[in-house]
Amino acid sequence: MAAAFTSSPNRMELMKVRKRLALAEKGHDLLKDKMDALVMELFNTLKTIQKSRATAIEQLRKGYEAVSACMAVMGTFETMQAAEETKKEIQIEISERNIMGIEVPTVEIEETERNALTRGYSLHTTSSHLDTAAREMERAVKLLVELAELEVTALTLARELERTKRRVNALEYILIPRLQGAMNFIMMRLDEMERENFTRLKRIKAILEGRE
Amino acid sequence: MSYKIAVIGDPETVIGFSLAGVSHTHVYRDKNKALGQLEEFLNNREIGLILITHRVVESLGPEFHQVVGKKGLIPLVLKIPDKTGYSPEKDELSDLVRRSVGIEIPVKTEGE
Amino acid sequence: MEQVIKFELGRLNAHLPVKRISLKSALSASRPAVQGKNGNLHYFKREELKLLSKLLPESEWDKLQLPILIALESKLGRGAARISGEIEAKVIGKILQREATDNEIIVYRPELALIRRKLPTTTQYMFVW
Repeated sequence: MAAAFTSSPNRMELMKVRKRLALAEKGHDLLKDKMDALVMELFNTLKTIQKSRATAIEQLRKGYEAVSACMAVMGTFETMQAAEETKKEIQIEISERNIMGIEVPTVEIEETERNALTRGYSLHTTSSHLDTAAREMERAVKLLVELAELEVTALTLARELERTKRRVNALEYILIPRLQGAMNFIMMRLDEMERENFTRLKRIKAILEGRE
Repeated sequence: MSYKIAVIGDPETVIGFSLAGVSHTHVYRDKNKALGQLEEFLNNREIGLILITHRVVESLGPEFHQVVGKKGLIPLVLKIPDKTGYSPEKDELSDLVRRSVGIEIPVKTEGE
Repeated sequence: MEQVIKFELGRLNAHLPVKRISLKSALSASRPAVQGKNGNLHYFKREELKLLSKLLPESEWDKLQLPILIALESKLGRGAARISGEIEAKVIGKILQREATDNEIIVYRPELALIRRKLPTTTQYMFVW
């Protein structure tokens, strides 16, 4: 394996391998720092997600319940009609931010809750059930938007962490040991060559001396 | 940048979100129509967030991930329960966290 | 593989801003942001700017440069980081409720987590080697 790295074991080659090893070790250390930071960022996000998920999903459940109640009391068709007439004005603000080169979203949303007069459906067909349904769903949307930011951030960070971990492992278990092996091989060969050279010189000397 | 929200789900889900003022909606009828609509929402630069029920995601199968995998940061996609409260046992985030960090961190909340 | 390392090392700091902006100008901008070396925009959250403005007297708003850079230096050891600059160190010290020494402050992992929770957009990591 080590031999594959070196065509000829000489000092030049040794220097090259040393350089490559230094780069691999530097890369390994830095990516490990990045991994640590990513884990911390991910945990920070996960901590907020737990609560955010629970509240958003509970509010959505309330919303659906209110919509069902509304359909039962007002009729499915009338509820659909009102849904169609409702003003569709929800807007969200999305901007990006960077965590160690990883793009994640920042989402902001204005107050989603409106009052019965501004929603746009015609009031003579409506009941308080409709207002409740709309209000609960408006609240749910706000919480879901906030949750979306967290979920996407966590998924993005976790994917990057997985990638970085693979790189760190490849360096730690494949490239660095391989380069170390190559370096040891060259040093051993150089030592051997030096010893051979030494004995040869000695023999030459002996021959020369013996001749005299 | 300002964006709008889209929702894909069963009729009742869509009615609910329409009442809240969500502008782009699609009622699930069949897989191909929904995939086409999803792709359209993904390519619509006005849309910043797509809400889609877990049940629809399951009906779309692996094609869902193929279509969504091609997108950039925006629009965000969030899977939500429908009125039955359904969400799959397997949670994408928990799985990914377990794989990437190597430990179990509870993300999935009770009653979800 | 070595190409990959070079690519990864090059990417580590590519998000850092070409030019930082002061808290004062960030507060007055309608959509406060800085541009990274990779061209991407990085937006600041208004609530963080407000938090920072409460921690500093108004006379120092133009001295605080954003984002505050958190330097991860291999020589500091794993989990430690350095925040340089008089005003920067002062603000971070206030968040951690401890005194900053001179012109910098060294923070450790639990503190780092706290800073990143409170200031996710107005601080950024910087890798130093």
